[in-house]
Amino acid sequence: MTGQEAYQRDIVWPANYNEIPKEIFVRQDLYQAEINRIFRGPEWHPVAHESEVPLPGDFKTCNLADVPLLIIRGEDGKVRAFYNACSHRSNQIEVKPSGNRTEFECPYHRWLFNSAGELVGCPNQREFTPGFDKKDYPLAQPRQESLGGLLFVTLSPETDSLDDFLQEAKTSLMDIMGGDGRLRLIGYHRVRYLTNWKAYSDNDGYHPPLLHQAFTMLNWQGGAGRQYATTGRGHYCIDTELTVPKPTSVIRDTSVIEFRDEGRPKRSSVLALFPMLVASNYLNVISIRFATPVAIDEVEVNYAYFAHQDDDEEMVRHRIRQSSNAIGPSGLISMEDASVFHRVHIGNRTPGKAVFQKGVTDPSRLSFEFRQNDESGNLPHWEYYRAAMGFRRTAA
Amino acid sequence: MSKLSLEELASLDVLQAAYISALDGKAMKAWLDTFDDDPDASYICTARNDVECGLKVAMMLDDCRDRLIDRCTFIEDIWAGTFQDYRTRHFSQRVTAERREDGSVAMSSNFSVIFTPDDTGLPQQLATGTYEDIIRMDGGRCRFLSRTAVTDNSVLPRYLVFPL
Ligand code: FES
Ligand SMILES: [Fe+2]
Repeated sequence: MTGQEAYQRDIVWPANYNEIPKEIFVRQDLYQAEINRIFRGPEWHPVAHESEVPLPGDFKTCNLADVPLLIIRGEDGKVRAFYNACSHRSNQIEVKPSGNRTEFECPYHRWLFNSAGELVGCPNQREFTPGFDKKDYPLAQPRQESLGGLLFVTLSPETDSLDDFLQEAKTSLMDIMGGDGRLRLIGYHRVRYLTNWKAYSDNDGYHPPLLHQAFTMLNWQGGAGRQYATTGRGHYCIDTELTVPKPTSVIRDTSVIEFRDEGRPKRSSVLALFPMLVASNYLNVISIRFATPVAIDEVEVNYAYFAHQDDDEEMVRHRIRQSSNAIGPSGLISMEDASVFHRVHIGNRTPGKAVFQKGVTDPSRLSFEFRQNDESGNLPHWEYYRAAMGFRRTAA
Repeated sequence: MSKLSLEELASLDVLQAAYISALDGKAMKAWLDTFDDDPDASYICTARNDVECGLKVAMMLDDCRDRLIDRCTFIEDIWAGTFQDYRTRHFSQRVTAERREDGSVAMSSNFSVIFTPDDTGLPQQLATGTYEDIIRMDGGRCRFLSRTAVTDNSVLPRYLVFPL
């Protein structure tokens, strides 16, 4: 076989769709290949919501795997993603996590860029190459598209349009962002998890109620709804009618789990986009979790929380109080997820396969509709991952 | 603002010590007892970067006594048996303390928290930052009306189970 990678030869991908070889979570050469084929490959990666940089000159920095990015709202109101590297000799442009500047100066040789990334000044130009023109040296930009204010980038020229990438997840994503994406940033939780990025994305969107004792203790039942995975990349959405727990004496301040009418259908939605985004609208918490691998066994997750622009001050306050204590890395109903990310990764260092059971009616086929809490909903994204990494499935 | 006597400063240190030994001993009831009975007594744990940007979502936002009590319930009942347990050592150092017009005390301290997860056994830095406190002094007894742990960490190295 020509051009076969060592990991493709060594790792045997099982015939059954519900079995995942654990070696894929711990093998270093595979991790490098994933950075190239997925994070620098033909996928869209959400990097910011426009409301995180509401004013001209507002910026934030972030990483897409190992690639540093700088997101700026220009004087013209447009939000753009740039590589966080000078167009001269590639010195990192901005070091702060966020802030506001009218211009961005590279300290190395003092090239100066405006908020639209154009080079507006550089000392000693007369000594530069003949024909040097500032116009040819803006800050470089990855390809980008946005939906409802959520800015996606891709580092590959081959990527499909964002529409084709999202398929029907587009509607679910808009619903999660209040229907129109007119959001207002209220804060963040930033945390590192000691886990492989695939173990994070496989376990964040999917919510087994057995893990969360809060559901049991508060006598909180799931509601009816629709759960589906897209055929393209296995983005999956768990959309249920929101049920609110019965009055409880277990906790004293029930505002943490109270649903206040915000003029939208009473639904709870969790969307997981390949490869790593989880977005959710749960009770009154609107959250977009920007996540990226840091190393083979570490991810950084930036939980961004939002209010809607039409909220009154009381609603904003409620969302702030609920976002802080209900969901997130120390949240009443989600702290246990964090623990599972770590422990699954430790377990994945053992030989063998992880086996998905609940909702799998036929291991030799994929299905794209499933029920809440079924493990089968994760299988289409695994199938997409397998193909993207060039693993051949063992014949049945 | 006025100065505090040595005796008053010593009573603040007693409160700090009670807070530290409660958390390092995972004694949530003792932690709760370091807060005043006032229904508005609060504990907030948040990142400095977010405070500076005016962002109000906090890692823990226990902005009333009911939420302080609920924090203990989360840890001792609701989350029991699900997290990877860890032991902490809190180190804190009072930096300023002054009496305010209303008689309460505003205190600021540096803190550093080292944690040792049961499963690795390796101590690591969990967080560092400052405590910004308002303290009620009642005779010789001090309790927090509010304690805000502002972390210099913009990113935490793992999820938090216990308050800082
Ligand atoms: S590298 Fe930025 S000005 Fe030279
Ligand atoms: Fe969960």
